Amino acid sequence: MGGLQKKKYERGSATNYITRNKARKKLQLSLADFRRLCILKGIYPHEPKHKKKVNKGSTAPRTFYLLKDIRFLLHEPIVRKFREYKVFVRKLRKAYGKAEWTAVERLRDNKPGYKLDHIIKERYPTFIDALRDIDDALSMCFLFSTFARTGKCHVQTITLCRRLTVEWMNYVVTSRSLRKVFISIKGIYYQAEVLGQLITWLVPYQFAHDHPTDVDYRVMATFTEMYTTLFGFINFRLYQTLNLVYPPKKLSALSASLARVVATAEEEEENQLDQFPADGEDLENMEAREKEQKEQEAQNRLFEGLKFFLNREVPRESLAFILRCFGAEVSWDKSLCIGGTYNVTDETITHQIVDRPDIDKQYINRYYIQPQWVFDSVNAKMRLPVEDYFLGVTLPPHLSPFVEEKDGDYVPPEKLKLMALQRGEKHVQEEEEDDDDDDDDEEYNDEVDDEDLTEEKNLKKMEDQRSQGKTLAVKVTPGKVKPWETGSVGNKVRLEKEEKAEEKRLAIMMMKKKEKYLYDKIMFGKKRTTREANKLAAKRKAHEDTSKAEKKQKKAKKQ
Amino acid sequence: MAAVKRLKRVAAAQPGFMSFKSSAGSDDLNSGQRKRVNKNKKKNWNKHSDIQDVEEFLDDVRLQERATGGLISEKPDDSLFFVDIGEQRKYVQPEVQEGKKGKKSKSRPLRIDLILQHDSLVPPPKDILAHQQPNAKKLRRIAENAEKLAAMGVLPRRQKRLLNRRPAVTASKSKTAANNFPDRPYYDLWGGDAKETADPYYLEQTGKKRVKRPEKLNSKPSVLPAVEVIAPGGSYNPDFFSHQALLLEAHEVEVKRERAELRIERQLAVNREDTATEETVFQELVEGLVEEEEDEDEEEEDVSIRGGLQQEKKTEKERRRERADKIKSQQKQAARVFTDKKQQLFQLRSIQATLKRGEQQTRERVAQRKANQEAEKSMPRRLGRLRFQAQDLEVQLSDEIPGSLRTLKPEGSVLKDRFKSMQKRNMIEPRERAKFKRRHKVKYVEKRAFREIT
Repeated sequence: MGGLQKKKYERGSATNYITRNKARKKLQLSLADFRRLCILKGIYPHEPKHKKKVNKGSTAPRTFYLLKDIRFLLHEPIVRKFREYKVFVRKLRKAYGKAEWTAVERLRDNKPGYKLDHIIKERYPTFIDALRDIDDALSMCFLFSTFARTGKCHVQTITLCRRLTVEWMNYVVTSRSLRKVFISIKGIYYQAEVLGQLITWLVPYQFAHDHPTDVDYRVMATFTEMYTTLFGFINFRLYQTLNLVYPPKKLSALSASLARVVATAEEEEENQLDQFPADGEDLENMEAREKEQKEQEAQNRLFEGLKFFLNREVPRESLAFILRCFGAEVSWDKSLCIGGTYNVTDETITHQIVDRPDIDKQYINRYYIQPQWVFDSVNAKMRLPVEDYFLGVTLPPHLSPFVEEKDGDYVPPEKLKLMALQRGEKHVQEEEEDDDDDDDDEEYNDEVDDEDLTEEKNLKKMEDQRSQGKTLAVKVTPGKVKPWETGSVGNKVRLEKEEKAEEKRLAIMMMKKKEKYLYDKIMFGKKRTTREANKLAAKRKAHEDTSKAEKKQKKAKKQ
Repeated sequence: MAAVKRLKRVAAAQPGFMSFKSSAGSDDLNSGQRKRVNKNKKKNWNKHSDIQDVEEFLDDVRLQERATGGLISEKPDDSLFFVDIGEQRKYVQPEVQEGKKGKKSKSRPLRIDLILQHDSLVPPPKDILAHQQPNAKKLRRIAENAEKLAAMGVLPRRQKRLLNRRPAVTASKSKTAANNFPDRPYYDLWGGDAKETADPYYLEQTGKKRVKRPEKLNSKPSVLPAVEVIAPGGSYNPDFFSHQALLLEAHEVEVKRERAELRIERQLAVNREDTATEETVFQELVEGLVEEEEDEDEEEEDVSIRGGLQQEKKTEKERRRERADKIKSQQKQAARVFTDKKQQLFQLRSIQATLKRGEQQTRERVAQRKANQEAEKSMPRRLGRLRFQAQDLEVQLSDEIPGSLRTLKPEGSVLKDRFKSMQKRNMIEPRERAKFKRRHKVKYVEKRAFREIT
């Protein structure tokens, strides 16, 4: 037989992967140490495409790592530290066993430790890379800072997490970067925009901690170790961008620090950047950007000038954080926590946030509102009317700001109202409990439906005409400005809409047959969703009508 | 002179003292004619007073103090005497040791120490030589000079060499080296000065060059975002329809689970009628034993034998016929193929239609496969022995929805959520708690005492 025969599993994907145990033996580490190292360095197991090839013919489920990654791990200086630590533990145990206390002390003083700075620098070479990955770090640090200080995980870690989270919140407050808040049954979701990156994180509630048993605490602790290091460096850099001193002093109250820092924030806002039109950009885009910026700045001053007082039963940290982010002054009862600057009896308080059904002593010149007003106002980017959130009133539902409805989807009527408010159109304020006019609700629903229906009708007409081979009666004529009844803001919007609809119709007419076929398919699908949305709206109306009828009956019975 | 005389006289007066002079002289004192002395004069107090008894007494006292540590008359009875009752029967008494540490109480001193204590009231003489240093002044002067010089900055050579040595690592370094101590200092990691100022060739040759991180490690293991916001139905005060949608999802998950259980039960189900009754069992046992219908068997045997005998050698005729048949069939087939090909020209349209259909199918399948691949990117991958178990949706039923933030009961655990999220994003593999497996089986053996009883 001439020539060398190729043996199986000697090249290709079989040699690119290595099983976990083999990797561990190559590195000469224990399994726990190996897992820790992989987590710290960011090396994850891979699932190969052809498992049978890699597993040398068997289909047993195994964990595979890329061989190149493991070879890269061999050069890591922390591996040496792990081995030293193992030796240290062994010596310490022996000294304890032999009751050589001087040896124990000496060993303890020279305990080997390692630093993760170079790993962070290697994983995130630039600051923006690190900022992209901060979501996970934030959520973990907030989670650990809510842990109870029992011995389950190091108390030092919990303290460090607490410090880092407070620093981060202080930064967000100073830079006014908070954009969205969502109160869910799991916890509170926040979204902030920092240096152009949208960062979402989840903060659990302070109470209710059941420690689930199937969570591996060692793994979580290792992740936290890495994330706290990363987080600290990011904080330092962020504080540098604001020209603040790091580490800041006395942040536990979040109250005094802001007074010092507000000055710098104001200075920044005054320096407005000159508008340089970039090459190739139209005037329109620039104007759009300017508008956006102005809106942003207006949003940042949402609660400016208002003075709030938080009652005892209200989640203090969350509300204080949000209110400060938008420029308000906040205080609470001194007996709760340090940092309450003014008392309940202060006359200049404009709003008091209460969560009880009623409150005994009422001051005249302040509003007593439920905490949902704050969250909803932040999400709506404007100060909502306070009447919906008085004490004892059934609150409107708290909508999620993270949902973006597409064209035909169901939009809850509350959201429609909100959008109307934002647009500035005034219409009669009505509360859900009133038995009187709910015409506005129907009006808006009808409007939405009407627009869709008219579009459909027009398109159908066009199609029919086209199929019959007739030339369409529409001609392109120079545009005429039609006089409208009153010159309100809504008319402009309507004009724009009309123009867009016209353009759309023209484009449809000019399509080829094939393209038209595809377009029809798409529209059919879309219309289906709108039809479903309408069905849901009708259901909702029916539900409301029945509940209103019941209430009317009840009232009639009472009287 | 007078002192010497006095001494002699005093010595002579001591009892038992034999002077050089004969005793006849000393008899003078004892026999009658005593010289009359005036005791009232100070000069004669020393010479002629007899203080023997006092001296004796004092000597005795001194002796007692020196030897036995104080006057014996002042000592307590217990230290001098003990009552001898005779031999005591030794029986074990449970000694209640209250508040005493360890077996041998360290608070009571040892008996041997007590015996060997020196209890004399006379202190041992102090050793003055221990305090004497011959050249103390000189040494003091040298020390002062050295201090003055050290204050000015001039140090002896030995000290200079010690100071020039590198200082030892202090203990405070080890405490701050820990990674997670709360006041840990941070610095600007991304700004700052570049450490790699040395020549890259030098670094490579001396083994100090840092290995480059492979590019593939910079890509994220999953396209899913790190924090997934819950659906709008999960708000603490949700809108009616979004809450219903979320409930529907949870309901579907439960329905799936129930169906899986039912499926397993159905597979295990056994038809009632198939179970063996006594009759069927009896039938089975009895089958073949009863002698019935023997004739039919014989006929079947003949047919089979006849069929086998027919296979004889083929004749030439048969072979020729076979060959001709073969050729004919081949020709027929060729002709058919030819006509088929000709006819295909007229079947072009249908052929095209079938081709189109086939192509469309392949295109569909390709699209489907691509869509599957894309969907797989967001699915958690199989990384180990266990599959990924998604956690239950966090949903609160309609009657659990709180009216206000105060009465809200949080649902689900964020810790578990983060853990599962990391598994979903392929960062860690799903694992279960390690079970305690015994290497060898536990043996139970009765104690000998019990074995005798039973």
